[in-house]
Amino acid sequence: MLLPNHDNTYIIIPAYNENKEVLDQTIDELLKTSCRIIVIDDASSEKINLPDTKNIFLLKHPVNLGQGAALQTGIEFAILKKANYIVTFDADGQHTVGDISAMLLPLQKAEADITLASRFLKPGMHNASGLKRVILRFGRLVNYFFTGIYLSDAHNGLRAMTAETAKKIQLKENRMAHATEILYLIKKYKLKYKEVPATVTYTNYSKSKGQSVFNSIRIFFDLVLHKLFE
Amino acid sequence: MNGIKILLITGVAFIAVYFFIRLRNSLFDLLLLLALIATAIIFILFPDITNQLAAKLGVGRGADLVFYTSIIIFWFVILKLYARIRKLEQIVTTVVRKEALDKEKDTNK
Repeated sequence: MLLPNHDNTYIIIPAYNENKEVLDQTIDELLKTSCRIIVIDDASSEKINLPDTKNIFLLKHPVNLGQGAALQTGIEFAILKKANYIVTFDADGQHTVGDISAMLLPLQKAEADITLASRFLKPGMHNASGLKRVILRFGRLVNYFFTGIYLSDAHNGLRAMTAETAKKIQLKENRMAHATEILYLIKKYKLKYKEVPATVTYTNYSKSKGQSVFNSIRIFFDLVLHKLFE
Repeated sequence: MNGIKILLITGVAFIAVYFFIRLRNSLFDLLLLLALIATAIIFILFPDITNQLAAKLGVGRGADLVFYTSIIIFWFVILKLYARIRKLEQIVTTVVRKEALDKEKDTNK
């Protein structure tokens, strides 16, 4: 399904205290593609061991900074490696590897500078609970309020971008507010974006790693501060 | 001069000395501090001034007026501190990121 020549596509996985089995499974799935994989260990308490192949790079933050910071480190590393396409992917196994080619297609056809995955574009692509759906709806409104971009999904970790775009995406939000900051940058640089339907499978594990209501409030404050100071 | 006035002025004086030592390098902050301290001492010595000001602004008592303005100033200070923290965070991030990138360059292919 994936085009054969993908060794210029880099997949960025921020990891912080991930369950070993889940992370290994995610990596194994990704290794079936020809994409390169960058794992950023955001100072997890246990050492992360990855298969020793030339397609995997492991970067380690000496102190914990947050998912936004880890993504930015990965993006900068991918640019150093002269990546053509950069994909961001969550470590908790909620994304489907098969969706990556669909994410890349609009970039390859030059229809978009960045693609954002959405679990709500087509019915039946997610198993989010009622509460989660309410939070996501609120997240979409918050995104719209701060950036003027109204998406069908919010805080979806699967994205793909061209190298040109990646150079413009300079995340300053170290924690979870980066998801909105990306939209903010899309607006600022007038990037062409496209939403692509993609499956999200929540497991008990990914739910435990996910965002709580309390965290959403923190994100909101980070965004207000971002508006004030940046 | 009664007891509370001496107490307050001593307090303000200590704070003033402390900040004068710390802010030696930034003229603007020093001037701002000087203005604040002058106002504080004047208000402590002649509390009636605050009453007159409060009456003009439609606030009940002088003490209330001081209280309300303090709240606004505190908000301002908190925001300034937040800005400073964010800046520090960005500096830390730059260093950590550089370390992560450099290490990977050393160890791998």
